[in-house]
Amino acid sequence: MDPTIATIWVVRVLFLALLYVFLFGVARVLLRDLRSAAREPVTALGRLRVVASEVDEPSSGTVFPLDAVATLGRDVNNTIVVDDPFASTEHAVLSFRGRAWYLEDLGSTNGTFLNGSPVDGLAAVAFGDELQVGRVRFRLERVGG
Amino acid sequence: MSVATALPGRLTFGPIRPRSRRRELGLLVLVAVALVVGSVSLGATRALAEGSASFAPWDPARLVVYLAALGMAHVAQVLAGRRTDQVLLPAVGLLGGLGLLLMERLPQDLAGSAFGDSLGLAGVQLVWLVIAITVIAVLSIVVRSDTWLRRYKYTWATAGIGLLLLTFVLGEEANGALLTIRLGPFSGQPTELLKVILVVFLAGYLSEFRPLLISESTRLGPLRLPPLPYLLPMIVMWALAFGIVVIQRDLGAALLFFAVFLALVYVATSRVSYVVIGLILLVLGGIAAYHLFDHVRVRVDIWLDPFADPSGDGYQVVQALIAFARGGLLGTGLGGGLPLVGGRLPIPAIHTDFPLAALGEELGLIGIMAILGVYLVIIERGLRIAAAAADDFRALLAAGLALVVGVQAFIIAAGNLKLIPLTGITLPFISYGGSSLLANAVVVGLLLALSDRGVEPPPPPSRSRGRFDRLLRRSTS
Repeated sequence: MDPTIATIWVVRVLFLALLYVFLFGVARVLLRDLRSAAREPVTALGRLRVVASEVDEPSSGTVFPLDAVATLGRDVNNTIVVDDPFASTEHAVLSFRGRAWYLEDLGSTNGTFLNGSPVDGLAAVAFGDELQVGRVRFRLERVGG
Repeated sequence: MSVATALPGRLTFGPIRPRSRRRELGLLVLVAVALVVGSVSLGATRALAEGSASFAPWDPARLVVYLAALGMAHVAQVLAGRRTDQVLLPAVGLLGGLGLLLMERLPQDLAGSAFGDSLGLAGVQLVWLVIAITVIAVLSIVVRSDTWLRRYKYTWATAGIGLLLLTFVLGEEANGALLTIRLGPFSGQPTELLKVILVVFLAGYLSEFRPLLISESTRLGPLRLPPLPYLLPMIVMWALAFGIVVIQRDLGAALLFFAVFLALVYVATSRVSYVVIGLILLVLGGIAAYHLFDHVRVRVDIWLDPFADPSGDGYQVVQALIAFARGGLLGTGLGGGLPLVGGRLPIPAIHTDFPLAALGEELGLIGIMAILGVYLVIIERGLRIAAAAADDFRALLAAGLALVVGVQAFIIAAGNLKLIPLTGITLPFISYGGSSLLANAVVVGLLLALSDRGVEPPPPPSRSRGRFDRLLRRSTS
C-alpha cells in the first residue's frame, strides 16, 4: 500500500479519535460536577433568605431551608421565628402544595405582604418573590439540584 | 472617601482577581490539537487529489487566527475572574472550528455578497467567528445582572414582533422563504435574533405567571387545564408560528419557536397536559397548512418520497442521503467528499442548510455522533445552569437558551437525515452565516453569564399579582 495514502488514513482516523478525546475530557468534567452536586443532597423544597431586617432575629442574610410547611410569627414554636413587635404570634404560613408554594396570612394584626401588596387569604408564591412579615423581608429561592 | 461608599445603595464589587480556569484551558488545548490535525488531514487529502504528497496544514493562517481568538477569550475570562462555566466555550470552539474547516474546503465563491467576493467563504466565516467569540467573551464578563432582561419583557416582546413585521414587509425571498432583510451592503436574518428575544420574553412571562399556570381549575375530560385566560398565550404563540409559516414561509423558524415554547411551558409547570394540547394544536396546524399551502405540501411530499423527483424538488435531499451513504462509518476524510457533479456542487445549500450532510460524508457516522454529542454537552450545561439557578426567571432563561440551540440543531440535523421534513434553518455554530453565528453567540454569552451564581441578587419583583391572585382564590375555594 502506498505509504502516503496510509499516512493520510492514519491522520483521518486520528482526527476522529481526537474528537472523542475531547468528548471524553468533557465527560470527565461533567461527571465531577455531578458527583460534587450529589454530595450535597437536595432535601429542602426551597429556601427563604432574609433580604432586609430591622430586628436581630432573624438578621439580614439568614437562610432558612424549607420543608413542606413553614410557619412564621413571633411565637418561639414557629418554624421561622420573627422576633419583631410588628409581627403577630402566629403571623403567616408558607406551604408547598403539589407543584407550587402558597402563602397564607393567619389573621395577623399588621398583615403579610407579597411583593409589596397585602395577602388576603391564599396567594401563590413564585421563586424570586419577596414576602414581608413585620419589618422583615424574605425572598423565596430555588434550591439548585 | 471613595465614590462607591459615598453613594449608599449603589452596588459595589470587590477588586477583580484573576481566577485560573484549568478545565477550560485543558479542553481548549484538546480542541486546538484536534483542529490542527483536522487541518493537516484536509491539506493532505487536497494535495493528494492534486497529485502531490504533502502534509502541510490547509490554510494555516486562518486556523491560527481562529485559535488565537479562542485563546484571547479564555485569557479575558481568566482576568475577569468570574466563576462561569468552563465547558461551553471549548464546546462552541470545536463546533465553530469544524465549520471553519468545512468552509475552507468548499468553493469560495458560495459566499455571494459584496464582502464575500473579496474574502471568500472561509474568510467571511472567520470574520464572523471572531466577532462571535468576542460577543461570547464580552457578554460573559460584562453581564452581571439580569434586571435589564427581566424588567422589560413586554418591551422585548414588542421589539420581537416589530422585527418580525419588518421581515414580513421588507424581507427578500430566498429559497421560497422571506428571511433576509437587506440594509445597504449588510443583510441579516432577523429570525435568528428573534429566537433569543422569544426565550427572554417567555422566561419573563412564565416566571411571573408560573404559580397560576400550575393551579388547576378547568377540567376537560381527562385533561386538567389552568384558568382559561391563561391558555391565551398558547393560542397566541400558535397563531404566531402559523403566521410565520403562512406569510414568511419559514417552516423551520415556526417549528423552532413552537417547540421551544412547549418545552419551556413544560419546564415551568411540569404538566403534561399543556404539551399534549400544544402537540394537538401543532398537528392540526400542520394538517391545515399541508392542505392550504403549496410550499408546505412540497416539503412534506419531498420528505415522504424524495425519489419521486430526484433531479427536481427532491434533488438536495436525495444528494444529502447519497452523501451520508458515501460517508459510511469512518467517512471519506476531510476534503475527500463532494466531487463537483457537472461543474456544480451536488448540494447547492451545503454551507447553510446541509453542513451536516457534508460532515457526514467526510467524517462518517463516527464523526456525526461526536458532533451531535457536542450539542448534547451544550444542552446539558444549559440545563445544569438552569437547575442551579436561584429563581424562576434565571432557571427558565437558562433552560430556554440551551433548548433553543438544541432544538434548532435537532430540527436541521433531522431534516438533513430525512427524519422529518427539511426546513431551512442553520446548524448552530457550524453553518455559514453571520446572523446565525451572532445570535448563537449571544445565547452562549448569556448562558455563561447566568452560570456565575450570586454576583448580584435579583431585583425585588416590581409588580404584584393581586388581581390574578383573586382569580386564583375564586378558583381554588
